[in-house]
Amino acid sequence: MRTHVAEPWVEVPLQHFVDDARVLFALLLHPNGQVLGQFGFTRAVDVMAACALAAGIHASAGQLGRELDGKPFRELYHSGRERQIFIGEVRTPRDGLIFLTAFGDDSSLGLVRVFFAALSTRIAAAVPARPAGAPLQSESLEQDLAHSLAVLFGKVPPAGDAGGSSSTRS
Amino acid sequence: MSSPFEDVLASLIRHRGVLGCLVVGEADGLVVDANVQVGVPEHVVAALAAALYRRARLASQAAGLGQVTFLQLEAEGGHICAVGREGLVIVTLAEPRAHIGLIRGAMLASVEALT
Repeated sequence: MRTHVAEPWVEVPLQHFVDDARVLFALLLHPNGQVLGQFGFTRAVDVMAACALAAGIHASAGQLGRELDGKPFRELYHSGRERQIFIGEVRTPRDGLIFLTAFGDDSSLGLVRVFFAALSTRIAAAVPARPAGAPLQSESLEQDLAHSLAVLFGKVPPAGDAGGSSSTRS
Repeated sequence: MSSPFEDVLASLIRHRGVLGCLVVGEADGLVVDANVQVGVPEHVVAALAAALYRRARLASQAAGLGQVTFLQLEAEGGHICAVGREGLVIVTLAEPRAHIGLIRGAMLASVEALT
């Protein structure tokens, strides 16, 4: 199975992580909930729900960390009966991003943390500079979220793709 | 803060050519205790060696060979050795010049401490 991405620069780092860490699901998103890339999900509604939850958990954990420790928690881990979840913040020169992954017995928290560090380095190196004159607009947030999901699942081509081909691979 | 594995690790690190030794959780790949030389990426070694040991244990069981008693990986730049028990793994990282026979004996004797 391959990763699916809404922005092409996400693909190589995310695919490396998935191949190395042997996780079940992976999701890279902007803190506003806008998805950048995913692995393992088959339905847009699941990606949308996971993005909303991950963004909420990250924001809550950040504030909780500030209250308790004076600085936000940057990594969270939860162990379920069969699956485990890891949420971490990817720091880039442009924005902080949120990364969520779920894994089972084929991987481990130690492996996920090791390859998450490698993913963060690759993402930080690959992230493009924000286009001049294109700040995030709160009024277009919902449209941006919907557009990212549509690109991710191949319903529309990514922005700037004149040839109409999608960066999503399957 | 001292751990119950401090003495075990201290005895292993004294062997000639040993670069580091660690006690690692087999399931999570996290370091429980470690005694490593400067420059050894202990968290990376721990996660990958624990995964390697776990796979070897499962492969041995699947092949009907029983429990893994001693795992040795020989590489161009040295050795990684592992023994495990009760969900914990002792991992030793050694240079090529290290006397693996002595290290193996010490590790097998130390595995009793993993309870």
